[in-house]
Amino acid sequence: MRVPYGWLGELVAGLPPVEETADLLAGLGLGVEAILRVPGAPQGVRVVAVLAVEPVAGALQRVEIDDGGQRRTVACAAPNVRVGMRAAYAPPGTRLPGGQGVLEVREVGGVRSEGMLCSPRELGIFEHAAGLLALGDDAPVGAELAELWPADDVIELELTPNRADAFSLLGVARDVAAKLGTALRHPAAGLEAAVGDPSIADGLEVRVADPERCPRFSLRRVDGVRVGPSPAWLQRRLALLGLRPRNVVVDVTNLVTFELGQPSHAYDLEALEGGVLEVRRAAPGERLITLNDDELELDPEDLVIATPDPEGGSRAIGLAGVIGGRDDSVRVATTSVAVEVASFAPIGVRRTGKRHKLVTDARIRFERGVDPALPLLANARVTALLAQLAGGRPHPGVRWVADPAPAAPAIAFRPSQVGFLVDVEVAAEAQRRHLERLGCGVDVEAPDRWRVTPPTWRADLELEVDLVEEVARLHGYEHIGSTHPQLAFVPPATDPTHRRLRERLVGAGMVEAIGYVFTGADDLARARVPEARVRLSEPQGIERAVLRTSLLPGLLGVARLNRDAARLALFEVGHVFLDDEEERLGLLWRGHGAASGWRPPQGHDVYAAKGVLESLAEGLGANLTMRPAGFEDLHPGVSAEVAWEGAPVGRFGRLHPEVAAAWGCGDVVVAELRLPLEARPPRLRELPRQPFAERDLAVVLPVDVAYAELAARCAAAAGPRLVESFPFDVYQGPQVQPGHKSVALRFRFRHPDRALTDAEVDADMGAIMAALRDAGYAWRT
Amino acid sequence: MNDDTLHAIATAPDLRELQALRVRLLGKKGELTEALKSLGALPPAERRARGAALHERKRAVEAALEARKAALERAELDARLAAERLDLTLPGERVPAGAHHLLTQVTHRLLDVFASLGYEVVVGPELEDDRHNFGALNFPPDHPARDTQDTFWTTDGRLLRTHTSPMQVRYMESHEPPFRVVVPGRVFRNEAVDATHEAQFHQLEALVVGERITMADLKGAITEMATALLGAGTRTRLLPTYFPFVEPGAEFAIWWRHPKTGREEWLELGGCGMVHPRVFEAVGYEGVTGFAFGFGIERLAMVSYQVSDIRDLFRGDLRLLEQFRGVA
Repeated sequence: MRVPYGWLGELVAGLPPVEETADLLAGLGLGVEAILRVPGAPQGVRVVAVLAVEPVAGALQRVEIDDGGQRRTVACAAPNVRVGMRAAYAPPGTRLPGGQGVLEVREVGGVRSEGMLCSPRELGIFEHAAGLLALGDDAPVGAELAELWPADDVIELELTPNRADAFSLLGVARDVAAKLGTALRHPAAGLEAAVGDPSIADGLEVRVADPERCPRFSLRRVDGVRVGPSPAWLQRRLALLGLRPRNVVVDVTNLVTFELGQPSHAYDLEALEGGVLEVRRAAPGERLITLNDDELELDPEDLVIATPDPEGGSRAIGLAGVIGGRDDSVRVATTSVAVEVASFAPIGVRRTGKRHKLVTDARIRFERGVDPALPLLANARVTALLAQLAGGRPHPGVRWVADPAPAAPAIAFRPSQVGFLVDVEVAAEAQRRHLERLGCGVDVEAPDRWRVTPPTWRADLELEVDLVEEVARLHGYEHIGSTHPQLAFVPPATDPTHRRLRERLVGAGMVEAIGYVFTGADDLARARVPEARVRLSEPQGIERAVLRTSLLPGLLGVARLNRDAARLALFEVGHVFLDDEEERLGLLWRGHGAASGWRPPQGHDVYAAKGVLESLAEGLGANLTMRPAGFEDLHPGVSAEVAWEGAPVGRFGRLHPEVAAAWGCGDVVVAELRLPLEARPPRLRELPRQPFAERDLAVVLPVDVAYAELAARCAAAAGPRLVESFPFDVYQGPQVQPGHKSVALRFRFRHPDRALTDAEVDADMGAIMAALRDAGYAWRT
Repeated sequence: MNDDTLHAIATAPDLRELQALRVRLLGKKGELTEALKSLGALPPAERRARGAALHERKRAVEAALEARKAALERAELDARLAAERLDLTLPGERVPAGAHHLLTQVTHRLLDVFASLGYEVVVGPELEDDRHNFGALNFPPDHPARDTQDTFWTTDGRLLRTHTSPMQVRYMESHEPPFRVVVPGRVFRNEAVDATHEAQFHQLEALVVGERITMADLKGAITEMATALLGAGTRTRLLPTYFPFVEPGAEFAIWWRHPKTGREEWLELGGCGMVHPRVFEAVGYEGVTGFAFGFGIERLAMVSYQVSDIRDLFRGDLRLLEQFRGVA
């Protein structure tokens, strides 16, 4: 919403300078986006009358003008130049905005042009280049245009959806006047919201078929209207609002929309069959061409303004509260108009606007709620302006179809709540003054029991707390202090953001990435992870149409993006969306681990990656194991299911070479684990007092037997004195038979209370060897 | 015995030769040892004179041996040290440092602040329903307030949460006041994406409910947070605004020095207010008041670290991710 500062100053007495006014508005909760300095018409441009127009060639015309003293000739190709019009003339020596330099006398197609007639864009006053600026007859010939069209500042507001009342100059002025404590000059002062004398026939008829969606409807006939350009002040006002002036009838309705906040519409009476206007639901399949020339297919939920069809039935001529139709538009030839000012229910307007993707000045206001007391007053304002500016003769009576507006209920209000909730002391008398200045009726039943009736334009005031905010807002939030409450609350020590996990991974050299939850079905398929379960109904493109089912596609994309990086160690903590939403940890490794660049690198293969996970588990005091298992996206020979504290949590392995090729991400090792990976609280074990006895054994066994199986077999056979065993060499080659490998194990035995004898250790080793022999394994000596 | 002996000691080529000399002179059967043993056979007068000379001689030999030993040991050490010389200006061998994502770092820093102020950290789902994201937060159906949060709806009628505020509802539905909680998390808006707008971003939201929490407590909490982030004397500002789930509502700003321009100015950070009575009604609370405030992490991260394009935060370019290695 743009608020021209000069206009606001006409409504509020004693308005401070523009910057202070902007601060005032911000302090009232009318968010200020910017202060725009809008230039006026360029110096030297004058109002002229067009005396003669003579076609030369093509669109080019020789135009004779009177500049208020002299007759001059200019070349002009504008389609709207007419004998008798008032136009803007830039004589030689004028400097127009846009940096074209100084105008000179020049020959155009054989016409000696002494300067030029200007379009609004050439003048830099609003965006329209398809014709000349056309001024009303009130513009004095020879006058400096800059005096009629001076510069102004515009305060651009970003309004919140609750403040329907502030979508008008009147509403903004009310707030400012209430804050300043100064008088408000109402734009419709002196006019009456009255029906007048409806007994005199006006040839109009109003039929409201859906009073719920259209609770109030006024229609007034105005005859003798001369449809021409609006006076400069009105055009300038619309231009400052960001609107394009059209003709005086349309301009007046637009002005009142922004001035009072009440949209209206003027119909060419010729377009109304028998003078009848209907308000009804659209028929199935009914169509409407809007004044933007869009053809809409209407929905039976849409409310339309219609007029009878000469061939029977009825045809829609406007979408109620949203946009008018093309066919009822006011034309130059129009002399009689019917001015409609109505109330339309917010939800219906909103749904229709959303359905047809139409955001109009009318919709914005109706869907937020327009003051129900406005229609008749706004109708009086529109018709008075038509009388004043277009020679119109308003009919003495107004067609008025209305249910009585329900009176807003009074709100029980305790002034003590301002201190209780906001913790600022505002005297009761001051609170009362604030509320009354905002238009509330205040009935003091007891010192702390008031009944406050909000004004018709503040439907957002419903609860006591709303009034607390009004008082605090007018008093000023800057008076709120800073305090610290005492609360009997001790937060539990939890780690829902997995900080410990992330810190350990970063410590192991992993770099954290954050990807998108949106992905494409193709990416999921290419990564061989589960199909999407959750799809967006209005996605931003096919590659963002579904929610991820795995963190790996995102990480593969990062690996591809960073294909030049020799070393990559990435992780991401994020949500995936399967039948349930799950939180997961994804990891990806590529290239070397520890490296200097000038010495042979340490291998960063799948075991180095596994080591990162083992360190993670060790650091969190948990037990991590892997069991060979197949996964679609992993190398069939290098993949495992990961168990954390014995429970399966995910998968680990080398990416399947076909998937790697499809992604162009190189040969990578990946893991994806479900979170949380619980940390086990540390527990102190008694320190062993005895040394351990060590024995080594190189076991020869088939290559496809997992180490975990061998270790489990040894542990089961050895009994309680075996406290630890680990491999210290794995060999495959000419020293062992084909299809076999040698795994050298070191065993450590200990008794808690005494030193073991050689015989005892030999017995344990014997048991282990017997078990291995039973399994068909041999050993090297 | 003569000075040749001392010369031999002084020029012994290595420790082994020196040890051989020591044995030859001072060993059990060494020349000096033998000479000293033979003293007993001499007449007393001669014995005294000869003895003194021999002891004198022995001390000289011992001193020479020690001196030579020390010299040889030093030379040996010098040789070893020279051989072991390394060029420590060559790069070390290492696992490069890992790095938290910039957004994680900023979030953790904020969570540290809130932890020190006694807040519990809670998190919630990203896929939400209408009731938690809108209805219970006093966004009526068909209200224009919903337009301020362009929503990703799913084909099955759920939505990606547009703010972290649904966790207000979830937490209050399952806990009793009083409490202080803070909710970090990812949120989504179906808006056109450009350098300053993303379809996904992160918020942090605080909620405090008790018997009598006031708007001054809200300002105090925001000021405490700002002070913990920016240092003592930090100023904060509240301006009235509207969010359906608070009343009175406000937006808050922090007075700070912009790291790029060096200018002191208000940094508009987020929204806040007193929890709306209808929200308390929706979760079945009575007789309490509370405040909530929330803001975007990306904005704070971007202005603090001068990131110019929000999309860079989610692209995964290592050249960007690695820049935050070692930043705590």
